[in-house]
Amino acid sequence: MTTETVFDQKIYFNDKDLSYLKKNRDPVVKWILFAFASIATVFVFLIIIFLFINGAPFFIVVPLNDFFFGTNWLPGAGDYGALPIIVDTLLVTLGAIIIALPLGILTAIFIAELAPPLLRKVLKFVIEILAGIPSIVYGFFGVIILNTWLKDIFGMHDGKSWLSGSLILAIMALPTIVSVCEDAIRAVPDYYRQASYAIGATKWQTIRKVVIPAGMSGITAAMILGIGRAMGETMAMTLVLGNKFRLPDPLANMLSQVAVITSTIASTWGPTVEGSLEQRSLLALAIVLFLMTLIVNTLSNIILTRVQRKFTGQKPKEKYSKLKNIKMSQFFIKYKQWILTAIISIIILLILPDYISKLIGAIFCIGLSIVYYIYKIVPKQRKILVIYSVLLSFLGWVLSTWIGIFLAVSISCLIFVSLIFLKRISTVIQQRIWFIIIYGSSAFAVFAVGILIYYIVVTGLPVFLEPGFLTGVPSNSGREGGIFPAIIGTLQLTGGSILFALPLGMFAGIYLSEYAKDNKITRFIRAGIDNLNGTPSIVFGLFGVVFFLLFLGLPRSLLVGIFTLGLMILPTIIRTTEESVKAIPKSFREGSLALGSSKWQGIGKIVVPAAIPGIVTGAVLGMGRSAGETAPIMFTAVRSHSTYITLSVLNPVMALTYHLFRLSNEVTGGLERAAGTALTLLLLVLILYSFAFIIRIRYEKRKKW
Amino acid sequence: MVNLMILKSKNKYKQEIENNQNLKDDPNEYVIECRKLNLWYDDVQALKDINMKYRKNKVTAIIGPSGCGKSTLIRCFNRMNDVIESCKIEGEVLFNGKNLYDSNADIRLNRKKIGMIFQKPNPFPMSVFDNITYGPKIHKIEEDEVLEEIAEKSLKKAVLWDEVKDRLHDSAMGLSGGQQQRLCIARALAVEPEVLLMDEPTASLDPIATQKIEDLILQLKEEWTVIIVTHNMQQAARISDYTAFMYLGEMIEYGETTQIFENPQEKLMENYITGRFG
Repeated sequence: MTTETVFDQKIYFNDKDLSYLKKNRDPVVKWILFAFASIATVFVFLIIIFLFINGAPFFIVVPLNDFFFGTNWLPGAGDYGALPIIVDTLLVTLGAIIIALPLGILTAIFIAELAPPLLRKVLKFVIEILAGIPSIVYGFFGVIILNTWLKDIFGMHDGKSWLSGSLILAIMALPTIVSVCEDAIRAVPDYYRQASYAIGATKWQTIRKVVIPAGMSGITAAMILGIGRAMGETMAMTLVLGNKFRLPDPLANMLSQVAVITSTIASTWGPTVEGSLEQRSLLALAIVLFLMTLIVNTLSNIILTRVQRKFTGQKPKEKYSKLKNIKMSQFFIKYKQWILTAIISIIILLILPDYISKLIGAIFCIGLSIVYYIYKIVPKQRKILVIYSVLLSFLGWVLSTWIGIFLAVSISCLIFVSLIFLKRISTVIQQRIWFIIIYGSSAFAVFAVGILIYYIVVTGLPVFLEPGFLTGVPSNSGREGGIFPAIIGTLQLTGGSILFALPLGMFAGIYLSEYAKDNKITRFIRAGIDNLNGTPSIVFGLFGVVFFLLFLGLPRSLLVGIFTLGLMILPTIIRTTEESVKAIPKSFREGSLALGSSKWQGIGKIVVPAAIPGIVTGAVLGMGRSAGETAPIMFTAVRSHSTYITLSVLNPVMALTYHLFRLSNEVTGGLERAAGTALTLLLLVLILYSFAFIIRIRYEKRKKW
Repeated sequence: MVNLMILKSKNKYKQEIENNQNLKDDPNEYVIECRKLNLWYDDVQALKDINMKYRKNKVTAIIGPSGCGKSTLIRCFNRMNDVIESCKIEGEVLFNGKNLYDSNADIRLNRKKIGMIFQKPNPFPMSVFDNITYGPKIHKIEEDEVLEEIAEKSLKKAVLWDEVKDRLHDSAMGLSGGQQQRLCIARALAVEPEVLLMDEPTASLDPIATQKIEDLILQLKEEWTVIIVTHNMQQAARISDYTAFMYLGEMIEYGETTQIFENPQEKLMENYITGRFG
């Protein structure tokens, strides 16, 4: 280093011409971003508004009572009793969760705590990709493999049943549950574990007494998310349940054919007449479904926020702080649970029609309250046990036979007794037993998912490799020929939806993360977006029909499909953009500001480019999702048969998912081609998902801040 | 605690007199001056009636225990606190005689003239060259030759040129922590500031890298005014000409470094530098 260069004073900056500083684009940019965010938000609320406007008139004609407590669903005959459908939905979901939850949690423990690093990475990668398998593919697996197995084992007519639905849903919910649980467990800081080892605890003791209690809220959230996903599942359920609108007979009979809300809509919407009571009744069902998932999503969001608070040490806001001093309110706060229970019971007593249902309703309400009380007072590590035994005994109640109740009670007893037994033996053997259970269930979970992929590949490969399958056009209702128009149609729909959703979602996400202040309106918008994120795809499908086809009068076409799918993936894109922009350290923004840049210069030149990999990942995931969805497009955009490629956006197109649905449901003798289509769809989606995760992994390696 | 309160109330008087006496000379000597500066985060007052003047081409160190408001104070000098929503500021900060918080003061121009180095090196995730030229580009210098010239000169001033001249177009994230911090200094120098604010610039660096930064600061003061916040009293003693001691948001003592360390006027200050608290 030489002195003369250091002290060479040459002025590069012309401080007299400062007009560029006056040209501040910040407000303009802010308004543009705000406009995008508003458009996105408007769409979010349009969906809710249109669903309610079109569905609500139904309740003017049919009293709430008849809808919620009637047991006959025969729209043709004017009977609109949705009780069987709603109860079936709960039953199928419940069955799935009882199977998937223990498996999922144990597998998550295995992946997070016990698996060697390499296996862990591989499993995590595989599971995140599996979460993207289109539901129609699961349904197809149910039709060709699972149902035939059930038919042979139980001697049923065709294997379509509640049991089949619950099993399929369980396999489907597994990846979601495992992946969220695993995240929750990994999020427990390492020094917790080290502290536990340091006082001589075994690995299992550490996992059970430190790691799981610390990750408990996350695990609960995973469970609720799993329930949400299972509840909103459409296509697979349409294929495997049998679609009989009745309660299982007897209630315990898992082999009876049932129908859930989503499958009812998907299988009966088609022929309904615009504006007819029948159509409105399906919209009313959609509203019920929407409200159910709304509750589930809100719950899981509340829990996840609590998790974040726990690890960041943020204190929750004190509720009722103003009321604390008044005696009455103290009384209320202390006994609020019981007061609420009493109020709700009274309401139930007033609303319900006859004495028996009044009694059952009130007992149910009080029972729920007691269970919640128990849940609150038991120590944290026992909570999961309470949940599980409640589910079991609820199942027992549903089974409603003495044998069912006996079974449920004895299983609960068995779990308790074995836990007590486990406590008495040496910690090393305890650990060994538990590890065997964990290894066993992980192996089983991997096996279950592995079998699905194995059969899809084995049955699909011969057709897939047939010359002309990928490049030919279908003939004889799809029983012969290829699927070229369907591939192109899916690509058109996917590409179009991302072109629509990406700019909108990206700018809205940037606005929310960088410009929106943390006030009530923003929180409201965020909550809306979050809820839409978990809204069942069939609800989007109905919105597409009601808004684009009926209200705007557009024809059933590619364009409408693009909009509907785009709206469905919009919340995902907004959220991933927001998260990845937020993850860019504050110091970059400060560094830029300190050099005299405007806010937007810093964001546009530094923050957003650094967040691009995250945004791209979100976009690709969104593409994977829109390529795999059937429900949103089946009434808005697809045609069943086509020998040419649609070039106009106002014509309907073929799509892989819908083609697969038809072949496995409506076209007899179409299963062979369906297998090939399923494999093609699976490959397409898996490629998109792997692509997204490879981007993410590379990016995580590279980043050093 | 009671002692402390009495001490503090005494201080206020003394300090104002002292500040004005100790540093009483030509007003052109000063670059930044703050008058009655008060700052709140929500309801918490982080700065209480700060009156200070900073001399041209000198290194002024601000020391004090964690949470005493020293970082908050220097962040006021280039209005970085504006980013924080809950922050409320009263009082004046004069830069070359003009109030930074005037409604018609240009924030961006002032930030260009008052550079800032942060506690953790924060190079942008782009190449070394792009990092340096980011500032000049923001301020409308677009010719490639000029940018290259600025880059070379700034890197030489930050004593980083020899280490990075062969990899100007590699990512800055690949540099070591000390190199990154010098890159940040070079980046700040590239827009020709008059003052450099440094917020614990060596807090996250190892001793050798710290040594290099300290040497650099001693060179920089020939051309620039440096205001540095530091946790490290030895560092303040080694590199600064003037030292200020802050405690709980108040300026306790301010004067020439030698005098302050050898003969502190305040009990609190003495306790702090002898290691009895803090």
